[in-house]
Amino acid sequence: MANEVIFHSIHLPESWKLENYLKTGGYDALKKVIAEKIPAEEIIAQVKTSALRGRGGAGFPTGLKWSFMPRQFPGDKYVVCNTDEGEPGTFKDKDIVRFNPHQLIEGMIIAGYTLGATAGYNYIHGEIFECYERFEAALDEARAANLLGKNILGSGWDFDIHAHHGYGAYVCGEETALLESIEGKKGQPRFKPPFPASFGLYGKPTTINNTETLASIPYIVKHGGQKFLELGKPNNGGTKIFSVSGHVNKPGNYEIGMGTPFKDLLEMAGGVRDGHKLKAVIPGGSSVPVVPAEIMMDLTMDYDSIAKAGSMLGAGSVIVMDETVCMVKALERLSYFYFEESCGQCTPCREGTGWLYRVVQRIEHGEGRQEDLDLLDSVAGNIMGRTICALGDAAAMPVQGMLKHYRDEFEYHSKHKKCMVSGV
Amino acid sequence: MANIEMDGKALSVPDGSTVIDAADAAGIYIPRFCYHKKLSVAANCRMCLVEVEKAPKLLPACATPVMEGMKVQTRSPKALAAQKAVMEFMLINHPLDCPICDQGGECQLQDLAVGYGKGGSRYQEEKRVVLNKNIGPLISTDMTRCIHCTRCVRFGQEIGGIMEMGQIGRGEHSEITPFLGHAVSSELSGNMIDLCPVGALTSKPFRYKARSWELKHTASVAPHDSLGSNIEIHSKNGTVLRVVPRENEEINQCWLSDRDRFAYEGLAAKDRLRRPMIKQNDVWRECDWQYALDFAVHALQALKEKHGAQQVGALATPQATVEELFLLQKVMRGMGSDNVDFRLRQSDFSADAGLQGAPWLGMAVAEVSKLDSVLLVGTNLRADHPLLALRLRQAAKHGARVSLLNPLDDDLFMPLAAKAIVSPAAMAETLDQVRRVLAGETVSGDAQKIAANLQQGESKAVLLGNLAQHHPQFSELHSLAQQIAAACGAKLGFLGESANSVGGYLAGALPAAGGLNAGAMLNNAPKATILLGVEPEGDTYNPAQAMAALRSADLVVALSAYKSPTLLKSADVLLPIAPFSETSGTFVSTEGRVQSFAAAVKPLGEARPAWKVLRVLGNLLALDGFDYDSSEQVRDVALTGAVSVKLNNTLKTLKPLSKVTHGALQRVGDVSAYHADAIVRRATSLQTSHAAANNARMNGALLSSLGLCEGVLIKVSQGEGSAELKAARDDKLPDACVRVAAGSAATATLGGLFDEIKVERA
Amino acid sequence: MDRIKDFFSTFLLIELLKGMAVTGRYMFARKITIQFPEERTPMSPRFRGLHALRRYPNGEERCIACKLCETICPALAINIELAQRDDGSRRTTRYDIDLTKCIFCGFCEESCPVDAIVETRIFDYHGESRGDLLYTKDKLLAVGDKNEEQIAKDKAADARYR
Repeated sequence: MANEVIFHSIHLPESWKLENYLKTGGYDALKKVIAEKIPAEEIIAQVKTSALRGRGGAGFPTGLKWSFMPRQFPGDKYVVCNTDEGEPGTFKDKDIVRFNPHQLIEGMIIAGYTLGATAGYNYIHGEIFECYERFEAALDEARAANLLGKNILGSGWDFDIHAHHGYGAYVCGEETALLESIEGKKGQPRFKPPFPASFGLYGKPTTINNTETLASIPYIVKHGGQKFLELGKPNNGGTKIFSVSGHVNKPGNYEIGMGTPFKDLLEMAGGVRDGHKLKAVIPGGSSVPVVPAEIMMDLTMDYDSIAKAGSMLGAGSVIVMDETVCMVKALERLSYFYFEESCGQCTPCREGTGWLYRVVQRIEHGEGRQEDLDLLDSVAGNIMGRTICALGDAAAMPVQGMLKHYRDEFEYHSKHKKCMVSGV
Repeated sequence: MANIEMDGKALSVPDGSTVIDAADAAGIYIPRFCYHKKLSVAANCRMCLVEVEKAPKLLPACATPVMEGMKVQTRSPKALAAQKAVMEFMLINHPLDCPICDQGGECQLQDLAVGYGKGGSRYQEEKRVVLNKNIGPLISTDMTRCIHCTRCVRFGQEIGGIMEMGQIGRGEHSEITPFLGHAVSSELSGNMIDLCPVGALTSKPFRYKARSWELKHTASVAPHDSLGSNIEIHSKNGTVLRVVPRENEEINQCWLSDRDRFAYEGLAAKDRLRRPMIKQNDVWRECDWQYALDFAVHALQALKEKHGAQQVGALATPQATVEELFLLQKVMRGMGSDNVDFRLRQSDFSADAGLQGAPWLGMAVAEVSKLDSVLLVGTNLRADHPLLALRLRQAAKHGARVSLLNPLDDDLFMPLAAKAIVSPAAMAETLDQVRRVLAGETVSGDAQKIAANLQQGESKAVLLGNLAQHHPQFSELHSLAQQIAAACGAKLGFLGESANSVGGYLAGALPAAGGLNAGAMLNNAPKATILLGVEPEGDTYNPAQAMAALRSADLVVALSAYKSPTLLKSADVLLPIAPFSETSGTFVSTEGRVQSFAAAVKPLGEARPAWKVLRVLGNLLALDGFDYDSSEQVRDVALTGAVSVKLNNTLKTLKPLSKVTHGALQRVGDVSAYHADAIVRRATSLQTSHAAANNARMNGALLSSLGLCEGVLIKVSQGEGSAELKAARDDKLPDACVRVAAGSAATATLGGLFDEIKVERA
Repeated sequence: MDRIKDFFSTFLLIELLKGMAVTGRYMFARKITIQFPEERTPMSPRFRGLHALRRYPNGEERCIACKLCETICPALAINIELAQRDDGSRRTTRYDIDLTKCIFCGFCEESCPVDAIVETRIFDYHGESRGDLLYTKDKLLAVGDKNEEQIAKDKAADARYR
């Protein structure tokens, strides 16, 4: 089941070339759509059947999102791919664009066809410039092969994709900040409603999907939603790429079916580094609460199972930590990230992220006070749910998660002015 | 209408309104910082979070539209907790320097901190410090106090038409800053002071002058343009310390132009006249009122005896109140003279006979925002009528077509549907082309486009601005505009020049039958001339000529608030009068709105309200009907009957287009915004903020044909007078035109605003 | 019962004896009369006497012209005018206390955010004409300069209650 959907051509040398993609059945789905003139409703129904959920982190059902798009609305409409992958622990979209850009392009074209869009944009994170160049090259290949541009495959339908790279701001991964950034403005999230489906890029209806989501579309169209669903488990269809990092022997991207036990994933990644034992796992990227080892070992890797454990699958970025990790130090690093990346638009996040970071930093450096733990918890709670976008929540959740499971370490730090793990 | 429930109260609110609108209407206060009723919704301060039933999260009241059956809790424990949390975040990096902050006492953050803040702070870390920006002489910045509500940014984008402030940086490092260290130069910039909910942007001239709570507030009317903006004068111990807008949705909304806001500094100018003065044997000396008035009356009567009543005349500034203008003309007519006028910068009076009433805006000010199509003729709109420009900008934003026929092309910060930038001499001809297109002819060029725009839309207007009114062919422009308006079903209007441009007509302060008008009097002054608030070097069409004329008069009695150098040269008696802040009076705005106001402070020194001076003058001249006890009595006599019926822009007889000959170069003499009247000329902060206005501007072609380049000192001359100015390049000006703004001391030696001008290297 | 008590106390002169007992007790007690001005009674550090304006140790005046004392003064005895000093700081150009109006309530001291205006232990000041009791900024600063040591001590003593 591994590497079934997206990395199916990874074994080929130069898998990013159009010829190699075509060799593995690439663009078959698009050709099928064009040739059979499959109605958009049919495609959306298939996507709904597949139980494909947004791979960017929120896990919103893609079929449902697509059905919000006012397809009959006259005028321009856009499909935007979100490759602004900036969260610590996440590195899957980068590899999709690097090794299989054409599948993403094919997915975007089908999405454009389904949603009645006139153009597509792929917003690529500013720190992965190599991917941007490779994607541009792939676009040129596709245009040359009449898979993109005017009169695609002789169908009389025009659709073009533009690559756009940011400058590395994490907040631009938020869909409305991403739109602002494409428009040339400061990357700051918009207040919702109105949602992008009615007022998106340049004020036009827009659908924004994650890279992995869009790259999964060709498979669904080609093999049907049911087959995709069966790769995973009910309500959690398909395969998912898990970016395993941290204290494992073989960190990397692993595409496996949804619902695979965490134990198996850990095994694929070579297990915890030798001579150490698992302490905790952040299952979905830096913004989700940490899960202690004993709970994690019993979980399966899908949205529902992880949510039951009080965390989130997020973008599938599994950060593995062994017993040498000081949780205070880890949290200091995480909160510094959010402190640096807050856009500064709304008050709780602008002021709160800095406050969180400074208090954690103080604790880590042996200047903590006993009341700091309650202060941290309360400040995180004050940010939670009161910001324009989810960045505030993302900054608050790790703090609350850490305090929930590892309060003793924090207390030890404040009380003894040294680390419980390393002893210094 | 949607039925909602808020804090247990059942409310019925219009569809599409937001929760905060509904709360405001119902008298429920929801705390807010970034929300402002005239600006777009940003929802970034998060102070107005309220609990809405069935919503998983708290919602910002400013951005949440009401929905049928919605149940809102603005003060539930959950909502209050959120509001208090946001307040805590707001305060952690806000300096607690209220004691030295000018906003203290009128600060939204301070007020709300009392309700939602804690006694102490849980934040023990170092506070953020943000460097102050120098954004010019009008606004003082303390950026550490900024709470990033972005009201100032949105004001620039949405109201001012030019984004002068922006937010840079991310997260805690984000700061509000002007672009690349530029100063803020918009003519509406002062409004950012009002908008700023904290002390980050405060008034620089008012800096550390007083506390808000110790100021006396007096409702008044702005005297620097014809809009009649409602203002509040804040004074302390008999000194005007600042001016702020008084909200009036029909006139200035909640805005105020910088000129109206900061010109008050001129009220306390060093050269204010404090005591009456007379000139004897070419030496000025101060004297008491009795002596000065006796002197003036005797001299007036003697000259009248000697030369007849025709040699007595009076000139007044259009900034004078209705009462003053009424009494002045009454004094004149009592003495048997019809020589009285207030239209000092007008040069073409040939349409006077055809006038059927007082020229006015032709519509209510509020209607300007709703126009579909408008043709502006001869106006420096942003400088002369900043708030009308704002209204037109809003109209343009909603799709109105704005066309412009002008000798200058300063950016109006609004999209123009069509424009014709032509030399002053060609204006009438171009306007005639527009008329001909509307009459069915075809011409080429801009006129065709202008006409096409005028043919569209429902509500239309042709508006003549100050430049048109000062134009030597004013009557022709008026006639043509009248025909164009009639041809396309538009309203004809005048953007009145000064606070009482309409009131002057209503008070009868202009020659009725055979008297001399301002042009004639300033060309060849009567032997005995009374000046009411006139500064000939800045207030007239042709300053050089005006000063020469006044110097040749036998007697000049000047009622003036200032001891200006030219008056000292030309006058014989100086009577100190009170400016608008020190007298009660009435202005009739350009839309015909009669607005009376009371004095905010006592007159300075021995100065007296001009209406009282004129009343006593009338008594001393033994004239009948000068027994008024109050300015209200004078007003009631001056403005009997409905004002609206006296307003009329239609000429009885149209003036045909004449052929004009003009010299090689023509001057474009707009009046610079901050030199428009005696008070604003003395407002120091405004002067320093726009010091560079004294240039001779021309287009690149003219510059090079004259062998000049930008920045060189050149000598411009008109007739006898000349001035040395810096050459500046403005490629938007039409050919063979030199733009030299009038009003300032540097150009006071020059001649007519639109006359021939010579340029040579200095 | 009370009536019986009243009845006996009226003719047994108990009140008189009680009063005499107090007199007697004080006759033999240690005298508390002091020889002012040579001797002075002890004073609370919170004593509210003559006002003073303080300076920082570097000589900079403390007052920032926030006008809170002027605003709070119930007797309207304080009159402040302010302006921006050349270095940009907010300073008074005039700070008058009319001691004939002052009721020595101490609100000015209480409201001062920088401990600039204080009330000292001095109560035996005088003036030879009414105008002498109008204390200007210079006079107040002089009082502060002269008594800074005592003022600082008093402030320190009271600090933990504020």
